[in-house]
Amino acid sequence: MIDFIQNTIDGVMIGSSYGLLALGFTVIFGVMRRLNLSYGPTVMIGAYFGTVLYLDFGAGLLAVAAAVVAGAVISGVYVERLCFAPMKAGAGIASMVSSFAIWMQLEQAAVLVLPRHTYPFPPLATGPALEIGPLLVRPDHLIMLGGALLLAAVVQLALYHTRFGLGLRAVIANPIAANLVGVDVGRLVMLAFAAASAIGGVAGFLVLAVDQQVTPMFGMWATLKGLIAMMIGGLGSIPGALLGGLLLGVVEVHSHWLFGPQVRDLFAYFVLFAFLVARPGGLLGRTADVELSHRV
Amino acid sequence: MDDYLVSVLSNIGVISFVALSAYLLLLTGEISFGQQAFFAIGAYAAGMATAMWGWPLALGIAWGAAVGAACAVSLGIPTLRLRGLQFSIATLAFAEMVRILFELFRYQVDIDGEPVGPNGTDGFRSIRYIFDHNIETFDFMMLIYTMLAVTLAGFMLLERSRLGVIFRMIGEDATLASLQGIAVARYKVLAAGIAGALAAVGGGLYAHLTTYVEPRTFDVMLGVHSLAYGLIGGLGTALGPLLGVVIDVGLLESVRLFAGYRMIIFGGLVALLLIFRPRGLLDERLVNRIGRLFRNAISGSTRTGRGSR
Repeated sequence: MIDFIQNTIDGVMIGSSYGLLALGFTVIFGVMRRLNLSYGPTVMIGAYFGTVLYLDFGAGLLAVAAAVVAGAVISGVYVERLCFAPMKAGAGIASMVSSFAIWMQLEQAAVLVLPRHTYPFPPLATGPALEIGPLLVRPDHLIMLGGALLLAAVVQLALYHTRFGLGLRAVIANPIAANLVGVDVGRLVMLAFAAASAIGGVAGFLVLAVDQQVTPMFGMWATLKGLIAMMIGGLGSIPGALLGGLLLGVVEVHSHWLFGPQVRDLFAYFVLFAFLVARPGGLLGRTADVELSHRV
Repeated sequence: MDDYLVSVLSNIGVISFVALSAYLLLLTGEISFGQQAFFAIGAYAAGMATAMWGWPLALGIAWGAAVGAACAVSLGIPTLRLRGLQFSIATLAFAEMVRILFELFRYQVDIDGEPVGPNGTDGFRSIRYIFDHNIETFDFMMLIYTMLAVTLAGFMLLERSRLGVIFRMIGEDATLASLQGIAVARYKVLAAGIAGALAAVGGGLYAHLTTYVEPRTFDVMLGVHSLAYGLIGGLGTALGPLLGVVIDVGLLESVRLFAGYRMIIFGGLVALLLIFRPRGLLDERLVNRIGRLFRNAISGSTRTGRGSR
């Protein structure tokens, strides 16, 4: 029983990082109705920025965090300008394939800068795990969970209680109508992209600081985990993204503990598949209106 | 022909089957991230048939295609009502499940004192059919291209047939198609089955070409690549995905000059290309224009023949 509770706690902690990744994904998908496969790799570019600063200039934790976010934002805007802004309506799949091509490009650029397979990343918090009765909680895990909850709250507030959020929701509801009432759609979309990349950057920083290492697999990992968590949570829902991430984390930790790492991944994909077939809208989403479906 | 060229050309031929498989689904409006699963299933099934059960090659590949089609149909039915991104992610989840199941799959028999068969993450070694039967690599390449030519001929016929029109119609607007009395669900499952069989044929050929398959080969990268080939080469004709494979595998992967920078060049070029040609190099408009040119040339010459100019 103690094991079960401990695993669930660990799952929630790990799941919070998935939730964070899904949050950035959801903002992009909500605004564009298009899939950005380059999302993970843009975060990875940020992570490599931070790692270079840490390794070559001995930068502190906060400077590394700032570099990760900045790198993610810069490469995120690059992806938006190249793969999304110039594409006409109805070319959703071209955007997606184009973002895949840029994924390959970003990944190779990162490997050219830092060619080894793993690099160290500065730790978020050192020190022993907190003991709560018989249970153990890592302090860096707590920071990660706190960060995820805080960011989700900020995104939700920004979306529903600011002028920027109002404009974004107008674009989400109907870009043409938004344009007619004076919303600068192109600029707003680019800003939303930058914000989503920043969220991804924070998520990436937290994950890497907990793992204390960077590998070139991170880009793919981040895209896949964010995508799975978003689909389980429900497309276009902010609380859903977070909840999907937490659920994915709990499922992974339990199945890992019971059956080992391969079956863990099998389970994660099975849960995703089962959700899609039985409840395509995910936990909290609507059965979505997805541009990709229309006129491939 | 030098060995390197033969191996590059053979690779192009084999990968073309997965690209065509993804392309067929694109025609019906579905974006699949999971065609690599059927490539894997075909590779394992055909490999097991020839290496473990001693079947002849043709039968092995046919068996692989049948298993691939059966799996594709059983994936197609539950994912029928999924649209757009949901369908894509469901196929991705399925393909990753298949890959992990192959990582867990161990089934070996003793052949000449050696264990042969799938062995988890270590993969499936010694699919030695073409060596045991003294088939030259050049001849095997010709076999690949013969089958590819047959497949392409099939696509050409499809484009001219009622079935092809139905596929494209569903791709344009599934609701409208069903209002015209087309049994959309049935045709979608049919397309999924054919696409699965195609990818599986490619897999069967691949297994015998390399004599060795491992689950890692069949990851998401292969799936997204095969989808991208259709979009790069063009969605107007079945030659489009082939052109995409030739550009990527043929030009960039094989020209050593680009080593280390291949993806930086390729990625940037593809992104730029898609801005100007969102439906690829050989898109529908270009294909129609070329077709018209041909028809005009032919009718022009007959007119000259009759002396009506």
